[in-house]
Amino acid sequence: MTDQDTPSTAPSSSGGRSTLVYVAAAVVVLLVGAAAGMLITLAAVGGGDDNPGPDSIDVGFSQDMRVHHLQAITLAGMARDRSEDTEVRQLAFDIESTQLDQSGQLSGWLTVWGQPTLSPPDQPHMRWMAGAHTHSDTTGVDLMPGMATSEELMKLRALKGTEFTVYFLQLMLRHHEGGLEMASYAADHARLGYVRNLAQKIASGQQAEVTLLTSMIKARGAQPLPN
Amino acid sequence: MASGTKKKGPQGGKGGGKNAVKAARSTVVTKKGPPWALIAGITAIVLLAGGVFTYAFLQVSDAQKFIASEDNKDPSESIQGVVKVQYASGQHVQSTQRVAYDQSPPFGGPHDGVWADCTGIVYPSAVRTENMVHALEHGSVWIAYNPDKVQGAALDKLKSKVEGTAYMLMSPYPGLDRPISLQSWGHQLKLDSADDERIDQFIKSLRTNNYQNPEPGGRCDSNQTGFDPATPPPFVAEKPGADAVGMDGKAPGASTAPSAPAASTPAAPTTSAAQPSQ
Repeated sequence: MTDQDTPSTAPSSSGGRSTLVYVAAAVVVLLVGAAAGMLITLAAVGGGDDNPGPDSIDVGFSQDMRVHHLQAITLAGMARDRSEDTEVRQLAFDIESTQLDQSGQLSGWLTVWGQPTLSPPDQPHMRWMAGAHTHSDTTGVDLMPGMATSEELMKLRALKGTEFTVYFLQLMLRHHEGGLEMASYAADHARLGYVRNLAQKIASGQQAEVTLLTSMIKARGAQPLPN
Repeated sequence: MASGTKKKGPQGGKGGGKNAVKAARSTVVTKKGPPWALIAGITAIVLLAGGVFTYAFLQVSDAQKFIASEDNKDPSESIQGVVKVQYASGQHVQSTQRVAYDQSPPFGGPHDGVWADCTGIVYPSAVRTENMVHALEHGSVWIAYNPDKVQGAALDKLKSKVEGTAYMLMSPYPGLDRPISLQSWGHQLKLDSADDERIDQFIKSLRTNNYQNPEPGGRCDSNQTGFDPATPPPFVAEKPGADAVGMDGKAPGASTAPSAPAASTPAAPTTSAAQPSQ
């Protein structure tokens, strides 16, 4: 009896069980695969761990502030080399060396986060900052707040003596005012504490220097550049 | 016989059982046929899983393709047409010397001790090559173009990628064999159109790429270095003479270049491979 029962029922019951096993295994493979795929994606685009992603405020601020700093370093470097005014040379050296170190910190973070240390060529500046205003130079190039145009840099290079010193102070003041705006926003909105901290330090440092630069311009009988 | 019969009985029974199994199996097989539903289900699941992986892979490669990293040290390897040459860095020549470069435009090798300003400057006229090559060593990308072939809207498009952009510089290069040539240290890509998507890919891949450029953090501004972006030293069209510095950084006499004169006294070398670069 059992001999006959077993043969007649075994094929269909074991067939049903193996189907179930196949389906279950496939579902598991699918779930594991999907999960792994999503993890790989998230990790690689920088959203899966503690690293900020390409569209984050942290990355946008770091890339843009680095470029903003690089121009301040250029401006200050010129004044440190060429100004005949000791007080201006000292301030220029301070700005140049501080911002050079900070720009290195920013590029170091970006490298660790797996992001480009300069914003990619097809990406406009200031995407990360709500309400940001970029300005365009005569050729339509989009510039971050406070950035000098190529023409203004050429003009500064050509000037000498007090004219050079005053124009440097004017460009540096406007540059700081723009940087201050960017740093204040990042100090409030960046996700990572160390990013907010540096942004805060940049904002308060440049705020103090804005006051100083304004007084230095006036002490030399000039006015800040018109907006 | 009795035992034989007894034995045969069960055997007959078993035989009957086997037949029953065969019968049952054949009935099942005949009834069900191949498990199409199962095959279709598994195929669908495999395709779906494959889709998820493909999607994830594409997302990843799209985001990461042209970003240099420890796992992707030279993203330009996925750009078609990039020429790569390995060059020793830090070999300097004087402003009065010329280098007999192996490429045109050159993208590595000995160079002037002073770099061309690469703070996003579009040079209206051709600049001395020995200065441009030093700017490449600091991580910049140089867009050279043939002034006879690239004009108007195409020229404006190239300028927009450079003007005011950190670690970028651009200049005409008379006699360039293609309309456009992009240079990064050890890398070159020659193109026909300013609309080519590979221009941005090249810039993304190689500008300040710390794996490919010899001096990470090298500066682009030119304060008091002797290079004035308003009046840069001009490009020299004539081929370098026999007194030019070779690609090994050695002045003729010390050089093994065939064009080098068999001078009995080596020309005073003004460069040294050991000289620290700036």
